[in-house]
Amino acid sequence: MASVFENTNWMLAPILVPLAAATVAFLLMGIRGEARRNAQNAVGLAAALGVALSALALWAMVSGGGPVRYELGGWEAPLGINLYADGLSVFMLITTAIVGGAGSVYALGYFSGREGEDARRKEDLQDETGSFWPLWMFLWASMNGMFLAADAFNLYITLEILGLSAAALITLGGTRMAFSAGMRYLMVSLLGSLAYLLGVALLYGSFGALDLATLGEAASPIPPVWAALALISLGMALKTGLFPLHFWMPAAYTSAPSAASAILAGLVGKASFYLLLRVWFDVFGGSAPPAAGQIPGVLGAVAIVWGAVMAMRQTRIKTLLAYSSVSQMGYLFLLFALVSGAAPERSFEAWGGGVYLVLAHACAKAAMFMAAGVVIYSVGHDEIPRLRGIFQKLPISVATFAVGGITMMGLPTSGGFTAKYLLFTASVGTGQWWYSLVVLAGSILAALYLLRFLNPALIQVPTAKVYRDAPQIMSGTAFVLAVFSVFLGLMSAPLFELLSVGAPFPSGTMGGS
Amino acid sequence: MSFAGLVLDGLLALSLPVLAWRALSARDLYRAVILFITFGVILALAWARLGAPDIALAEAAIGAGITGALLLNTVGGLSRKNDKDDERPDEPTDRVGRPWRTRLAVTVPVTILAGGLAWAVLSFPAPVVDMPSLVGEAVAEGEVSHPVTAVLLDYRSYDTFLEIGVLLLAALCVWSLGLSAVRSTAPEAVSGSPVLAGFVRLLAPAMVVSGVYLLWAGTSQPGGAFQAGAVLGALGVVMVLTGLLVPSLGRGGVVRAGLALGFAVFLLVGVVSMLATGGFLAYPEGFEYGLILAIEFFLTFSIALTLTALFTTVPPREKGGGA
Repeated sequence: MASVFENTNWMLAPILVPLAAATVAFLLMGIRGEARRNAQNAVGLAAALGVALSALALWAMVSGGGPVRYELGGWEAPLGINLYADGLSVFMLITTAIVGGAGSVYALGYFSGREGEDARRKEDLQDETGSFWPLWMFLWASMNGMFLAADAFNLYITLEILGLSAAALITLGGTRMAFSAGMRYLMVSLLGSLAYLLGVALLYGSFGALDLATLGEAASPIPPVWAALALISLGMALKTGLFPLHFWMPAAYTSAPSAASAILAGLVGKASFYLLLRVWFDVFGGSAPPAAGQIPGVLGAVAIVWGAVMAMRQTRIKTLLAYSSVSQMGYLFLLFALVSGAAPERSFEAWGGGVYLVLAHACAKAAMFMAAGVVIYSVGHDEIPRLRGIFQKLPISVATFAVGGITMMGLPTSGGFTAKYLLFTASVGTGQWWYSLVVLAGSILAALYLLRFLNPALIQVPTAKVYRDAPQIMSGTAFVLAVFSVFLGLMSAPLFELLSVGAPFPSGTMGGS
Repeated sequence: MSFAGLVLDGLLALSLPVLAWRALSARDLYRAVILFITFGVILALAWARLGAPDIALAEAAIGAGITGALLLNTVGGLSRKNDKDDERPDEPTDRVGRPWRTRLAVTVPVTILAGGLAWAVLSFPAPVVDMPSLVGEAVAEGEVSHPVTAVLLDYRSYDTFLEIGVLLLAALCVWSLGLSAVRSTAPEAVSGSPVLAGFVRLLAPAMVVSGVYLLWAGTSQPGGAFQAGAVLGALGVVMVLTGLLVPSLGRGGVVRAGLALGFAVFLLVGVVSMLATGGFLAYPEGFEYGLILAIEFFLTFSIALTLTALFTTVPPREKGGGA
């Protein structure tokens, strides 16, 4: 088996498998009814399996032999385009494999088109055009392509595929609100991509190359590099939804079909964050002034509090979850302030903590959106005041919400605990204790906004009528994913060992533990 | 440089920002679109003057031509909707007023951005990589003699492969919206006019020949799949507008397969070359020219069909299914 995993062509599988699946699913759109649904489901699941297998193969390859480089078309950089996989790339691939795989299984039930008593209720979505699978496969390929890209322009193309397919997924519901949310997301996404492209143009103008490694060696503290870093950061902060650029998030996550909301909130925002990590630490490692990291850091801290306070004021589950995402994305940006602190030996802790939260939050938030989808599927709405006592009817979904909440609050054994603990110790260790207060405050506020739904859901009162039972595969997938996020804290050792491969900071004593 | 050339360059450089500003500040959407198309044509001329005929062709065909047609189509759709809307006849939605606060909120960041960019561009260092000479050396050894084609389909073929994916995705996105069909924007008398239809019938062979020539020329001089596809796509748009081609373009399965063909062939060539040479899109020795031309041929077809499909916006009608 070892020799099979040494073949670097594995690196293309996470990109080509979903692309091939997208093409086949697109051709299948022509068939009508049950036959199309079954065929597209089979194609989608096969692709999910392929991505998972290739992510595991890459894990074995990278942890065995260190970072891998692949020359596309047989041309070496800077003339040709390279793919590059290190610990961070494979970690992100595993994240999409887990959350994307769960999302695919969930979609089997979600788009099963089971008839309800009242056929024209909100989210009674059957995906009549059969667009979900091809769009989702394109989206998945673009994320995997981004995590493996080693070329600044190639990254731009993956961003374009990402933005287009995500915008179309938001509008799948077909409501007026979904169209306007999707359109707004498309504009935001194009603006972000264009800012990125402008930054890349400046880099190409300065150094004559697009290969990230070549750029990283050439980069020096000169005005074009600062301008490029500022433009790229602005574009990606917009696409990730960093406060105050989060304005598009609530409408987008709320009006998308829940199967798509789970993918969007779990994975899509994280992809642009990954790009930011790459650019800051691998390309501009030494050329950004340390104080620059305070800008995303402070905005992240404000986002944690602002998002949580807004989440408390929501009356719908999905908008509550969307504002919770604004808050949780804030945590990710703390790492920019913490790695540039006074204690360089803490840098890996801060960086690793932020990256680990990507996985933990992706699992938990996707599970919670899936649970919200089950509620809407069964009851027809997600308005919290009308869901009192819903635990009696939908116990698994309410439990999913509570279990996913453990990661949001950062309680022990959850992946959120590991990540937030690392961010906390890094902020104390680098003498920036005020960030540790924000980390704690965010957890307490998370408990408060989660109770906004859990409290009424758990009381014993006569409750809303369930119109139809959601397929068990929906509530089951959501629950398993939520439980997985709780045990992520116990599985951190091998994942941090993976992250230390090719990491921009020495892992010191932490990585191998 | 000759005096006439200098005058032309000066005119181009002056008119571009003026046209851009006029297009952005036009209070009427129709006028803005016309200015945008003019901007595209002038920009194409500027690219030609800068010695980049490939980009000039692409800008003229896609930037000005196809995009302009799509925008005009949208404006047409909007004003038709306004005509039906009797409630506020004096205030059509294509007239947007801008209070001074909005102007200030736009002007200040844009000025800062422009200043920063100018400062950055003026302080470019000497490039560490001499890309043009790298490309030149590789072209001298390869089978394709036009550097732009060599970059697009050989050295950076993976980017082009993904871009073709973007085109397929664009058609998919538009279809997923479930919009209604584009009808001929011309009045009945015009769309049914035998003179116009006859003219298009005369025009069609010429456009097909130019498209194929652009495709063929691409291996040794400016041209290639994108330019050829844009010319043929424009023909498709004209045929839809004159009613020679129905908006749904034909039988569902065939149209779908046609759209996916270019991407699928590209993917297949990549995978087969991976099995043959061990590298994705690494063409085997001696097959480079043939494979690139084959890919470009299928790309041209799919690009043309995609551009026409984007214009008509409706998915093909299904009759009994089968893809």
